[in-house]
Amino acid sequence: METVLVALKDSLILSAKLLFIILPLSIFYEFLKGRDSKLAKRRFAFIGISGSGLISLVTGIIIGLTYGAGVIIHSLRTSNVGKKEAFLILLFLSICHAIIEDTLIFVVIGANGFILIAFRFALAIILTYAIYRSKILKTPEGGDG
Amino acid sequence: MTGAAYSVIIYRHMQPDNYLAVLRRGFINGVSITFTMAKVIVPFYIVIEFIKKTGFIAVISDFFKPFMELIGLPGEAALGLMAGYFINLYAAIAVIAPLELSTKDITIAALILGISHSLPLETAVTKQTGVNAWLLMSVRVFFSLLSGVILNVIWKLFS
Repeated sequence: METVLVALKDSLILSAKLLFIILPLSIFYEFLKGRDSKLAKRRFAFIGISGSGLISLVTGIIIGLTYGAGVIIHSLRTSNVGKKEAFLILLFLSICHAIIEDTLIFVVIGANGFILIAFRFALAIILTYAIYRSKILKTPEGGDG
Repeated sequence: MTGAAYSVIIYRHMQPDNYLAVLRRGFINGVSITFTMAKVIVPFYIVIEFIKKTGFIAVISDFFKPFMELIGLPGEAALGLMAGYFINLYAAIAVIAPLELSTKDITIAALILGISHSLPLETAVTKQTGVNAWLLMSVRVFFSLLSGVILNVIWKLFS
């Protein structure tokens, strides 16, 4: 019984710590959503992602695959994002998504956040660039290659 | 699809100047996300405390030890990785937090889990976009473990 109480207390403390991290994040995200994200317009062009695909990419990087799924699926279907670009976006996001929340919840339990963000961002860019430049996606049916 | 359409409507038509409404929405979302997390974390945390008492973790640890050494993690972290892969990050945190690992170990586990987590759910989501979701899932699992090995090597070099 004592074990349960201690575990209950510890887990509630952990949850409270997470609340303090997630609350400012979700408020910040709501503010960000209202702005047109033109700031990063051309920045990702070199890895094959540009213009209309960018909203999906930025949404995914910031809030993640699951939460951003609505925006991602919708903008992939409605805007003129090709299958190849869709694959590149999702490849990038596979490695590097929800980068703020995922990182901070691990920082709460003692991880080094700088290393986490730098490593994932670098790996995602290298991998996406490599696939974009390689012959794999040159076929018309690219993306499944 | 209604959820997607709704979020895009918010995206397109939100008034940037309506700060109070934005603040309120952000606050409500934040609380509800945390509540969702707590619902997973609290029960898992309690279950793990019990498992720790039974010595079952030692059995699992020994089993995964050779493989986990490659990543530089203690055997018992395997439980956390599995919770993260198959359930979600909150479950993984609930498993890892009571283990009291070092900064290096937690950072490596966080890197692996950050790249690869909630695989059943996120693969289902990825499938909806029409790309090859299974390929992407394999890429994630492969690179998560590879990243763990690489970070382990780099960390040892610089310390």
